[in-house]
Formats: sequence, structure tokens, C-alpha cells
Amino acid sequence: MSFSEQLFEKIKTHASPKEISWIEAKSAGSLQALQTAFVAAPRFISKTIIQSTDSINDVDINNWTLDRLVRVYFLTKFDSSDRETYTKSLDTLFETAENNEAVALISALPFLAFPDYWMLRATDAVRSNIGLIFDAIAFQNPFPMQYFSELAWNQLVLKCIFNDKPIHRIQGLSERANQELANSISYLAHERWAAGRTIPAQAWRLVSKFMNEAIFADICTLFVSQNLHDQIAATLVCTETDFSPAKEELNKHTELLNKTFNWTMLEG
Amino acid sequence: MCQKHTEIAQNPSHFEGTAEELETSKTIQANYADYTKGMKFFDPHIHMTSRTTDDYTALIDAGVVAIIEPAFWLGQPRTGLASFKDYFSSLVGWERFRSSQFGIKHYCTIGLNSREANNEALAEQVMEILPLFLYKEGVVGVGEIGFDDQTAAEEKYYRLQLELSKEAGLPVQVHTPHRDKKKGTELSMAIALEHGIDPSMVIIDHNNEETVESVLEQGFWAAFTIYPFTKMGNERMVEIVKKYGSERIMVNSAADWGISDPLAVPKTAALMKIKGISDEDIRLVTYQNAIDAFAQSGQINVVDFETPQVIDQSLKFNGNTVLRGGQIPRIDKNSLIIS
Repeated sequence: MSFSEQLFEKIKTHASPKEISWIEAKSAGSLQALQTAFVAAPRFISKTIIQSTDSINDVDINNWTLDRLVRVYFLTKFDSSDRETYTKSLDTLFETAENNEAVALISALPFLAFPDYWMLRATDAVRSNIGLIFDAIAFQNPFPMQYFSELAWNQLVLKCIFNDKPIHRIQGLSERANQELANSISYLAHERWAAGRTIPAQAWRLVSKFMNEAIFADICTLFVSQNLHDQIAATLVCTETDFSPAKEELNKHTELLNKTFNWTMLEG
Repeated sequence: MCQKHTEIAQNPSHFEGTAEELETSKTIQANYADYTKGMKFFDPHIHMTSRTTDDYTALIDAGVVAIIEPAFWLGQPRTGLASFKDYFSSLVGWERFRSSQFGIKHYCTIGLNSREANNEALAEQVMEILPLFLYKEGVVGVGEIGFDDQTAAEEKYYRLQLELSKEAGLPVQVHTPHRDKKKGTELSMAIALEHGIDPSMVIIDHNNEETVESVLEQGFWAAFTIYPFTKMGNERMVEIVKKYGSERIMVNSAADWGISDPLAVPKTAALMKIKGISDEDIRLVTYQNAIDAFAQSGQINVVDFETPQVIDQSLKFNGNTVLRGGQIPRIDKNSLIIS
């Protein structure tokens, strides 16, 4: 079953018969009819919350609204046989998108043909200050993991940390951890500490494999933090790393050593 | 007009109210909000793009829970289609989001304004992209459109947009001119009727004592803009409500980049309360009538602003969760320390 068919199957489990017949009528239409249906969807489709435990094309659609799912489905019906017509019609939707439309378009990126073509749309969503649009690229979306350069990936993760967003919801978070990102987290922590502020403790999960002297100094700072979450993060990093001075440091903190910690505890 | 009481003492105008009311209104300047406690307001005409976050904070504090931002000109003419497109996009995008950060529901009307209708080459292009925006969520009307200088080009695009509104089933928000207002208002209504538009779908804006009677008689909605110096003052507004009642009458601020007051609606409600207008009439002209008129678009769900804001931690503005705990973070304006 194609991804498009899978999306429609999921829609059918949440939509009313009237909604389903509207969707069927529109999805068989011309390119222009599809564009209009994409825009008009909330006038005919409810905002019922989708319950789903399985992913479609690695996209986790749980907690989406039904109109968002229907919009993504319409986008999979655009004929991509002529690249220029295809990209132009989608570009029009991007350029005139209202916030909820933008969310649907960004959510649909993993389903679109010519993934390279959409890179600027994806990185622009990372630049967005509109929370919902940023979230649509950051969370429940495999596009960044699959296509982002290291630079773009690191921007995404850093902006999440900077804005106190839940990084554990980024797909591919541990797979795409890298030295540059670990260094940037260390720099960000220094800036925040100098200003009397903090970074979310779970950010340190991204440094375990990239430990060096500088980052190790940060971990030592975390051990003496007043915040238990920082201490837990320090313990977990030292448990995970191969960096031997970190192992020695960990042994000094007997009060933390024998407790069972995991990163999930810091995801709140 | 006639707003300086010292000058009219010998010859009070018909819309000044009694001497006693006037005295009361002069003594409560500082704490007018005491008179609007528990009231909520809907401002159906305000250009938030031109306003600051201080204004948003003041609006929600004063009880304004929802607003409509009509598309208008930006103080100088746009030179290309892309500027229009980005402006319309911002009304359903960034500005809508910015408003949500303060717990205020933001709607808009989309249209080609009368001033810029005079650049016909550009107007043609704008007409082509209007349908892309008119069908979007939260677009509650075609507006603000109508006459300014009352030129042939203005009439042409007013008529074309009336047809668009019919096709989309959307109410029309009609701007009436500053100069030769009475004639412009009559012409706007006559043309709307000629196009077969039900007057109950048309909101005639910026009314005054001279235009209101005909607007109401013909079955249109009559909106009044409380705007210092050039449009209505709120003392005059109170007299209008006393005379014509509350049916199909609504008040707005039309606050924009000029010297205007975003709190015009709550302030007018306070003045009405002081001057003895009933709570129900106040509610109708500062809240319910605007909702009834624009909800004909099918795009207003009162639950969105009548129930307490759901706190969504994903809604962040530059890293600040404005809605955390339902409280808007406040800056102490008198504090020297910025942290």
C-alpha cells in the first residue's frame, strides 16, 4: 500500500461518511481543485485529534488534527510527473500559507517528491519564530534527520535547546549527534552560566560520545550544581562516555553512583 | 467637532448628554476600568500590525478577547504585488500568532483597499491573488473595501470585490470616505444592493450622526469608529446608542499607525455605563453584534475566546512562553533593571 493510501486508511478511521465523500470528490480533481481543497479543508473537515501508534513513512501522526492529516493527504495526490508544474503549485501554497496550512505543508515534506528542492522551506521553518511552524519541522518529522546537512541539523537542535523545547521529540536525535553540536552546547552553557541562567539538563545527552577536556570541565560544573537534574545529567554522561577522567570523576560522587537514572527522567 | 466643553457651554450640542453625566465622566478619567469589570469586548476593526506588544497587553487587560484586523493600506502605497502578498500572509500568519501570545483571538478581513485601487495596473494583479486568501481559516470577510476619493477605479474594484464576497459567502466590511462621507456611504450601499447582496451581510464602517439613520433603515450593520479628532468621539457615541438603541450597531477603534486609541471599545463601554446605558445594550454594541455580523462567515467559533485559554507549551515567542500559567509576563516599565 502506498503512503498516500495508508494516509487515506487512517483518515477513514477518524472521519465521518460526509467528510470522507468530500475528500474522495476533491482528491480526484484537477491540480487547481486540489490546491483549493487544501486551503478550504477546515471548512469541511473537523479538528478531531488523531490517535495513532504506528507511523506512516516514518511520520508519527499521533495527536495531529484530522484537517492536518487530510491536507497532507491532498498533497500526496499532486501529480509529480512534471517537476516544474508540481513544484510551482506547491510553492504557491507555501507562499500564501496561513499558519495551520504552513504546519500541514511542513509536516508533508517527507511525502513530497524531489526532497532536495524543499530544503529551503525546511530550513525556513527552523528559522520561524512561530512555535507551531517550528514544531512541525522539529518534531514527528523525519525530514531533518534524512536530509539536513550537519550545519542545518545543529541549528535545529540548538534552537530547540535555546527555546526550552523538548529535544527528545526530534527524530534521529542520538543518531545524528556530532562533535560540533556537542561543542556548541558547551558554548551555549557558558553563555547562559555567565548570565546567571541555565540550559535544560537533558541537552547534555548529546555530548557523551564527544567528550573532551573542555566539555569534561562543564560536566564537573554540573556535578556541583544545586539542581538535581544537572547532577543526574552529569552522572549519565559519565556513565555513557569512554573518556577516562570522567569515569574517575563519577567514582567521587558516591551519593549518585548507585542510583538508577535515565534520560527520560529529564524529559519533563 | 464640538468636543471642547468650554466652547459649547453656552450652546450644548445634541449629543453631549446632561450636565450631570458630563460632570461624572470628567471625574472618573483615571479608573474607567472600574466600570467595565467582568465585561469582555470584541474590537471588529483594529490594525495590530501597526501596534506594539504594550498595546496587546493593554487590550487583554481591558477585556478585549478577540479582534478583527481588516486589510488596509500601510500609510504609503505599495509598489508591487509581492508586498500585497506578504501583507495578506502576515495577517493570517505572524500577526495572528503574535496576538495568540497574548491570549487574544485574531481574525482578519482581506481585500484591496480603496486608496490603492487607484493604481489599476497593480490592482488587477491583487485581484488575482485575493481568492487565495479569502478562503483561509479565520478570514471573516472581504474588507476593508469601498470608496475613498470616490473615483471610477475605486468603484470598479469595489464592485468586483462585492462579487467575490458573494461567491465566497463572506460578509463585507465597507470603509466609508472621510470627505463627502454621506454621499460615499449612500453610494456604497446602493451598489451593494444593486449586486444583490443582502444588507445583513454588509457592515458599513466609520458612521457618524449624519449617516447612521439611512444605514440602519436599509438593514445594514452600522459600525462606529471611535478615533480622536477625525472620526467619532465616544461621548457622541453614547448619544447615538441612546437615540438609536443597540440593534445592528457596533463600536470599533480602527487603531492604526495614526494617533488612535486601541482601548477605544472598552473606554466607550465605560462611558456608556457611566451614562446609564444598560449592560445588555453595552454588551451588544461592544461585543455581540460584531460577532453576529462576522460569524456569518462560518469562521468564528466563540469557544475560542469565551473559554479560558488552553496553555500550550508549544506556543513560544522568541523563546518565551507567554501563556505559561495563563499569565502574561510583565515588564515593570518603571524598573531600571532589565533582566
